[in-house]
Amino acid sequence: LPPPMEAVPCKPLFFDLACNFIEFPNLDDKTGAANNKKQGAGLTG
Amino acid sequence: MTYHLPSCQKMSANKENNLVQAYVELNKFCQNGDYERALKAAGKVLQISPNEQKAFHCKVVCFIHLHNFKEALSVLCNPKNAALASDLVFEKAYSQYRLNCPKDALDTVDSASELTPALKELRAQILYRLEQYQECFNLYRDIVKNTDDDYEDERKANLSAVVANLAAINQSADLPTFE
Repeated sequence: LPPPMEAVPCKPLFFDLACNFIEFPNLDDKTGAANNKKQGAGLTG
Repeated sequence: MTYHLPSCQKMSANKENNLVQAYVELNKFCQNGDYERALKAAGKVLQISPNEQKAFHCKVVCFIHLHNFKEALSVLCNPKNAALASDLVFEKAYSQYRLNCPKDALDTVDSASELTPALKELRAQILYRLEQYQECFNLYRDIVKNTDDDYEDERKANLSAVVANLAAINQSADLPTFE
């Protein structure tokens, strides 16, 4: 015989927000993009 | 001797050029979220120059995005990579957290020299997993107060979950209410 039904609290929602901080580093200094930007800034003043 | 210098310089210039090309490739895959290819590109950079910290960082991020937390933790913990991994405390703790090792993850977070916003957010989630709800609640209250991003609703849901657990443990506790 199954036990009588009983109300239980539901498992609360819990979000993983730390995963949003897993990011690639900026590679501009490695690809030469930083140098190009500097030159561009020089040209346009 | 006079013949050696130019050839060495040429080799070094070639290597430099290859390295930049490999990084350009890596950057492309990172930006369009192609983690499999980015992983290979990061490996190529490290083949040319094994001490490239940024390429190593990308490799770890790729493993995490591919949900290969075991491999991420393995490369981070390899003694050979100690110097490359020293700044990646958050990535290490997050991998441990996802591998269901919240105690190790907490130790890693607390070993960091500075509790950055990322480490704080992760620390709160670890405390929840460890069922240390009171400390978790205090930390979330601090984070909610001092953070302004697109995840305020989700964070409030997390805070509610902590409060629900506190209430379940201690029915008579003086719990906060939400207005």
